[in-house]
Parts: sequence; structure tokens; C-alpha cells
Amino acid sequence: MRRWGLLVLLAAGRVGAQEDAGARFETTVSSAPAEVPSERAASEVRQGDLERRLPRRAPDALRFEPGVFIQQTAHGQASAYLRGLTGQQTVLLFDGVRLNTSTWRQGPNQYFFTLDAATVDAIEVLRGGASTRFGSDALGGVISATPLEAPVADGRFRLSPVLTLKGTTADSEAGGRVSVSGTAGPVGFIGGVGLRRVGLLQSAGTVRSPLDGRPPDVPRFAPDGRTQLGTGFNELTADGRFTVHPSASHELTLASQAYRQFDAPRTDQCPPAFARSDECLTYKEQFRTLTWASWKARLGVDVETLKLTASWQRQHEVREGARPASFVLNTGRDVVDTFGAAFTLGSRSFLVSDAVQWSLQAGLDSYLDLVDSQAFVSFTDIAVTRQQSRGQYVAGSRSLTGGLFADATLRLGARLTVRAGGRVGWASLSSPGDAASQSQPIAASWAPLAGHLGVEWAVASPLSLLVNVDRSFRAPNLDDLTSRQQTGPGFQFENPALRPETALTAELGARLRLDWLSLEGWGFQTWLDGAMLKQPRDVAECPPSSAACGASWFRYQLVNAVGLSEVRGVEGSVRARLPSGFGARATAAYTWGQGPGQVPLSRIPPANGHLELSWRHDFGFTGAAVLRWAGPQTRLALADLSDARIPLGGTPGYAVVDLRASLRVSAVVLSLVLENLFDSPWRAHGSSINGAGRGVMFLATFRPPSP
Amino acid sequence: MRALGVLWVVLLCACPGPSPVPTDAGVDGADAGGTFCQPPPAYAEVLSSCLPLASDYTPRVSASSTDAWPACISDTNLFTPLNPNISSIARVTAFEEIAALLWRDGVRPSPDDFVSARVAYAVDQGIDSRVQRREDVHVAEAPMPCSTAGIPEQYPERCAGPTKLLPVLNDAFAKGATGENPRVHAARIEAALTWFFYLSSLSEVMSCTTKPQDCDSSWAYYAGGTPRAAPLGLGKTIRALGVETHDRVYDATLAVRCWRNLDHETGVATDLVQRDTAREQLDRALLRGVALIVRQRLTELGCTTGEVHAANLAFLETLLPWLDRAARARDPVQASALQGWTLDVPAALAALDRLFPCP
Repeated sequence: MRRWGLLVLLAAGRVGAQEDAGARFETTVSSAPAEVPSERAASEVRQGDLERRLPRRAPDALRFEPGVFIQQTAHGQASAYLRGLTGQQTVLLFDGVRLNTSTWRQGPNQYFFTLDAATVDAIEVLRGGASTRFGSDALGGVISATPLEAPVADGRFRLSPVLTLKGTTADSEAGGRVSVSGTAGPVGFIGGVGLRRVGLLQSAGTVRSPLDGRPPDVPRFAPDGRTQLGTGFNELTADGRFTVHPSASHELTLASQAYRQFDAPRTDQCPPAFARSDECLTYKEQFRTLTWASWKARLGVDVETLKLTASWQRQHEVREGARPASFVLNTGRDVVDTFGAAFTLGSRSFLVSDAVQWSLQAGLDSYLDLVDSQAFVSFTDIAVTRQQSRGQYVAGSRSLTGGLFADATLRLGARLTVRAGGRVGWASLSSPGDAASQSQPIAASWAPLAGHLGVEWAVASPLSLLVNVDRSFRAPNLDDLTSRQQTGPGFQFENPALRPETALTAELGARLRLDWLSLEGWGFQTWLDGAMLKQPRDVAECPPSSAACGASWFRYQLVNAVGLSEVRGVEGSVRARLPSGFGARATAAYTWGQGPGQVPLSRIPPANGHLELSWRHDFGFTGAAVLRWAGPQTRLALADLSDARIPLGGTPGYAVVDLRASLRVSAVVLSLVLENLFDSPWRAHGSSINGAGRGVMFLATFRPPSP
Repeated sequence: MRALGVLWVVLLCACPGPSPVPTDAGVDGADAGGTFCQPPPAYAEVLSSCLPLASDYTPRVSASSTDAWPACISDTNLFTPLNPNISSIARVTAFEEIAALLWRDGVRPSPDDFVSARVAYAVDQGIDSRVQRREDVHVAEAPMPCSTAGIPEQYPERCAGPTKLLPVLNDAFAKGATGENPRVHAARIEAALTWFFYLSSLSEVMSCTTKPQDCDSSWAYYAGGTPRAAPLGLGKTIRALGVETHDRVYDATLAVRCWRNLDHETGVATDLVQRDTAREQLDRALLRGVALIVRQRLTELGCTTGEVHAANLAFLETLLPWLDRAARARDPVQASALQGWTLDVPAALAALDRLFPCP
């Protein structure tokens, strides 16, 4: 155990400031993630946090992190806003593998939901632009999940099974996971299978418009006024990870994970506003499979660390829009295969003088997407199906993105550290077009640049000041350039003329670290140049072959805004360790966004945060009372006004109290959360669903002692 | 351990379900024959005795200066949309596509044509989406919208779209795709869509009270958002049978726009008397237009044969029961005579002329 921990610390080169360090189990040795640079605005959620918070899904795990706001388009979909941006304007990583594909749509998407939180050792959140290291899309920030590590093999055969059971009352969730970890000969392994069934979600009632007191048009409620229609889903997950250490300084990993979600209605389209209650758009299949292999080495020469990763990801979804009263079934089926390769190396520290040393990290990454997309309309009463000429995307489209980067760190004395880096990116996209639907062929390439400069000044031992300037970019993806789809605000059609958007971010932070107190605050300003924003379009501008475009109440294209858009805000967090096992933690964030012409940016989160008071006993008990809150958001973009998810005039604020208790005794962990104690109706701004009403969540984990 | 591994491999390979497989409609049914009227009966509309009511808006007469309406945006005799984007135009465009496939120019549609027409009908946010929730504003409002589960069954008269139109359309599209009596099922679709556009034009007037752009939709549902002389959709059919009736309907759509121009144009309307005046003008003119369509079909019964004749019968069997409420409100005796059209066509024609003499 001690050896593993030492190895891991060596490999990681960084120890996270986790809340529950030392409270780990043998089989879940932590490889403290090092994807996120320490000088940036960042926070981290560890497995112990997940065990106490009992998030319903991976995005919920970030609900208590500063500057992160979770929006939910459906019960089975959730997206994290980082500094007012989400979806394709943020980057998701799993074990360093980029999950973003070229079909991620603008605004919230469901793909962070396709990570099984039970397989995650830690999730790091970096707020602010980070394209130098992470490439296109990293405008708002980066979410990097690290999987549970396999134990290091020591030649013996050992096996440690774990059984986890989880349930909730508000949405009748029942699920569990069986996993094993162990070693056999030179191989360390960990893997498991999980499943859960989730029912209709009960809220605490309707959330009403601040203007006229009426509830928004979505979601639709059952007659009890609490149960939300268009919710519930089923889920199956599996993962496996095999690790070999040919020597103490080399590690080979082969890993795979599979996520299978079935029958997840898109709540705001199930039914759509004004439609019959039996009309529903359902994600029949929302699958993601990721397989990757990596080689990590600590060479002990000038090039000290090296990591090479090859990956394949398949993102597959089948959507069914059913109108049973008319026997109409619209089916969309999209598959994106992504082949990726990434190579990074890190130098040792070079001494220039006693007071000056520098190090370098550099790398190259590239991801190729191959897209297949189909659409069908079926009439179920006569068993006739017609294939449409194109799907949401054009089959045969391709996207190649990547870049070459270098990052240098210069330490000047004991108090000053300067970091700077740059990236030359590339993005090359093509689509064969589709004559029948008058979809143009596309062939576009860009070579966007990114860079950053940061200074960290350790003013005094516990206090640091940090200044960073970052230039990041997002190249248009295939969704922006080619998609035709019905979205929350209305019908989106393609714009082949888009060019990359860039974000220049300046941020100032301060960190105070004492034994009993940790305090961090950041202020930031981001200027988005050529931001891809929704531009309302007239019916006359619809593609002539797209009848659904003209029939929709709102139509838009993404266009590069002329002039600068701005996002600014402040974020803060404080954590205090108090006497007698008491503790306190609080976060707060405020974001303000505006496009050219002084128009608010769409779905900017309201001021939000949380306050947590906890008590821990050496016996293994932890208890906490948590207040989650958000202010009202009444600054709405034009697209927000036509979005049925947002109440007329904006989304009211909320304050929700949860109680948590967790007991860890020997081989058993029992966690209980009484959520929404006062049964307060609440809704995260921009969501299709209201949050859960009063209910209980529980988790029981059994780890039989190893023989 | 091994079981877990097997499970994991199975799941990893858990391949997605198969894609839908395109399937065809039925085969062409035997042509039951049938002939059209040669030449088609021509109805010479004479409306010299049908002077506009004192409350009517008359933009074609001295730019409305002789009627009781204050000066307004419609006095130009042109419809000025509140919003250039009128989604209901796409539904009229779909109607035109369906008409071309199923009945216009004497076409005898194939099963594949029915499927193509149904695709146009069922497009997202298209005609079907509105049929499913269309309400008949002549009937007292239900406590909840007709899109609410259970409401159509409890309030079938108000929820005319889901309870009356939808079953006909579903059935006719399905049977047409089998190749069975295609002209008959095309005629049923035409009848149901004719009534849909009639109901829609009126219901949009009501919703325009709070949503000003719905007045645009009222106009567009009638004529597809076109100038007076070149209407599409229901307007095109009515104009082909009676130019003056069409013009009166068009006048009434301008009256609706005029009301909204005068009544808090971009906010919530308060002058419901003026609104109802405009709506009644529109309803009267539209009913006269629908009566012209019915009249044509009744007349054609005498000179068509075979499947063409059966199609006329199907059209009338579909549409006339829906017209009965308006007819009975005017004259129950004449309404009964009209409903007895299967027994005595000339009497039904006479009743129709008496019931809906003027637009």
C-alpha cells in the first residue's frame, strides 16, 4: 500500500488538496491528477467527496465547486457552465483523452453525463481559457476526470471485489455496481459493471415566472403537480483498466469504458411546449465507448517524463421523436468515431543559477472524427419508413483537430514563478454536402494560435498572488458548419462560413493557505472575438429544402459576432477546519456576459454558491448541512426569450438545504443525503427540469477484506 | 471475475440497435375508373345584393374611408405583417405540396404519393403538429388546452383538431398508402385540411389578443401570406370559385390586422368588441368560401362517375357534418335540408345558398 502510494506520488508530481486525503481504500490508489496547471483557477472533487455528496450523475459532482453551474436540458442530460460557457466552449478529458467531438452542439450538451461517476477517482475543473495545453474549445475551461487506478502488480495474485448499491426516492433510482481490482502476475487491473434504473423525477412543485407568476411551458407535470413528465432513463456502464509496469519507471495501460444510456427523454421536448402530452423526443440510445492505451515513463534524463496515448472513441446516439396520435416516428442516428493520439513530454528542472531554474513541457495531439448521420421518418400504422436525404449532420463528414504546444516554467528565486506557453493548432473539416437537401460541400482549414503568460508571486508563506493572461480559441466544428436541428430556442441551420472564435482572458487571483484555513478568490475578464452567437434568421433565409425550418417559431444560424463579446465575473471559495472536528466550506460566483450591441449572452448563470457546515468524528462519521443557492437571472438573450425552458422574464432564484451523513466502518461505507429538506421548488437557469423535491439518497459500499 | 470479464466484453460490444430500414407503401390499386365533369360546372357568383355590413371593414372602398373603422395600417389594402417571419406560411406551402400530390389537376395518387404527402404533412412543427391541438373557437373553452391529456375526450367539440380532423387524416393517409380508392382518401384529406385552415384562421384571431403576431398567422393560414390576387392554400381554392368571396375574406383578414393596429399593437389587446367584429366578418366570409367549395362538390355529383364520384361523396361526407354547427345556428330547417344532401342534392344546394348567401 505504502509502495503504491509512493509510486503514485512520484508519477503524479503533485498532491491534490483533497478533503479526505488518507481516507482511501487499497484498491483505489489515487493518481493525483496533474492535467490542470496549478497556477490557474482550479478546484478538484475526489472520490471521497462523491461518496458523501452522492451526485446523481457526473456533472452533479461539480455542483459545489466555485464558478461551476450545472444546467439540465433533461433528467438524463446535464452540462457544466464554467465562467458562463459550456458544451463545445469547454473541454472534457478522461484520463487525459479528449472527449469533445466535432458534433458537440452549441450550448449545453449531455456528454459529461456519459461519464460514470463511480469509475472516477477525481474530477478537476480549470476555469478560464486553456487552449495552449488543451487545444480547441477550451474557452470557458476544462473538466478533467481521472479514473480509478489499478493497483500496481507485485507478482502475486490478489482480488478485491466491491459492491455498491445506490438509491434515491425523488426519482426512484435503483442501481449498483460490482467491481473488482487486483493483480495477477505483472498485471494490475480494475474494472466493473454498473446499472441503474431511474424513474420520473419529483420536484417540489412549479417554478413560476417573475413577471406573470405563470409556470414555464416545460416541463409538463403529472396531475400531482410535482412529478415531471419526460424524465427517467436506464443506464448500463462497464469499464476495465489493465496496467503493467515493465520497470519502476515505465507504465503501460490499456483501458476501456462503455456507457450505455437507454430511453432518456429530452424533457423540454417530451412533450414540447404546446404539444400533446404524448409527444416525446427520446434518446433511445446514448452510447459512448472509449478505449485507449498509454505509455508513461519517467526517464530520469533531461526529458524526465513522457506520455504517449492512443485512443478510439465512439459516440453513438439514436433519437426518436414520437407523435403517437399521428403514428409518426422521426428517427435520427448519429455515429462519430474519433481516433486520437497525444504525446507529451516534460523536462527536468534546469538550474541557471542558484535562484533561477526552468522546465519545459511540450506535446502534440491530434484527433480525427469520422461522422455518419442518418434520419428516417416512419409511419407506424402502415409500417412504412422513408430515409431522409441527410441526417442532423451530413454522412461522410470529417474533422481533424490538434496542435503542437510548448509550456515553460521559470522560477525566479523562492517567491516568483513565471509561466508561458504557446500552441499552433490545426483544424481541418470537410463535408461532402447533400444535393437533395441543398447542403453545401465544405472544406475548411484553420491554423489558430493560442498562448498564455502567468506570474505567481508568493507574497508571504501562506499567501500567493496570481496573474494570468490567456488566449484560447475554438474552431467551428461540424455541428456549427453543417447541422440542421430543432433546439430549445428554435431551429438551427448550418453556416458554412464560420471562422474560429478566440477568447482573451485576463485573471487575477489570490490564495491563502493556512493549516486551518484555505481561501481563494479570482476575478476575470474574457473578451470573445468573433464569438459564435445565435443570429435570428428570417423564414426566407431557411434552406429551401428544410420545411421544418420555415415552420418553426424561431430560426437561427450561428454567426461570428462583429465586435467583442465580454464575460466577466468573480469566484471565491473558503474552507476552514475548526476545532472538535467541525469544518466549514463556502463558494460563491458571479458571472456577467454581454455580446456586441449590449445584448446579454445566452444563459449566463446567475450568482450562485453554497455554504457547508460539517462535523467529522474519528469513528468514521461525517455529517454536514449544506445550503445551495442561486440568485435570479433576468438578463436574457434574444434566444432565451424564445426558449420554453426559461420562464417569462427569467428564472427565479432559490435556496435549498441538504443534510448529509456518512459512516465509514471497516469494510462498509454508508452514506445518506436528505435532499431539499424544506421541499423548495427550484430550477437551475436554462434547465428543462426543476430540481428534485424533498427526498432521500443513499449509498452503501461493501468491500470484503482481502484474504 | 471471469463472469465479470465476460459481462464487460459483452457490454463493450453491445452494439446499437439496427437502423430503421426504409420500407415502401403498398402497390397501386386497380383503377376503378371514373370520369370528371366535362366541362366542369362553372358557378357564376353574383353578390350584387350582398352589401357589406355596416360593421365591416372595407379597404377596397375608398381606402376604408366610408366604413365605420378608424384609419389604420390596413387602409392601404395591403396586409402589413407585424413580424416578417410567419411560420404558418410553411404549413400552407405543405398544403400546396400535398394538393399537388393527391388531388390537384385530376391526379390519381399512387400509394407512394400518399406517403410523400404524409411526410409533408408530418414535418416537425408542420400541419400535423397544429391539427393535434387545433381548437374550434366557436365552442366554449375547455379548462385546459386541448394538448392536455384527457381534455380532447372530455371536450370533443372544442378540441376539433384531435377529435375530428386527426382521425380522418390518419385514416385517409393510411388507407391511401395501401392503394385503396386513392381519390376517395385524397378527397377526405382535402376536406379535413380545408376545415383545418378555416378553424386555424379564426383561432389565430383569438390568440392574437395576447400574441400580436398571431394576426399574421390568421392571414397566412387563409392565403399563405400572399398578395390578394395570388393566394395559396384555402384562399386559392376559394378564389377559383368566387373572386368576390375571396376578396371579402381578404378584406376580413385586413380587418383583423386593422383591429390589432389600433389596439395596443405590440402588447395585449383590450378592445375585444372590435376584435369580435373583425372575427365575425372573417368567419362569415370564410363560411361563404367553404360553402362555395361544398357547392362545387354537390354540383359535381351529377356529372362524375366511378371513383371520381366516390371522391366527391367522401369529401362531402367528411366536411358537411362539421359545417352543420354554423348552418344550424343560422337556420335549423335549412341546415337539415343541407344534411339531407344524399337524398336530395338540389334541395341541399338551395339550402346551402340560403344559409351562406353572402361573404
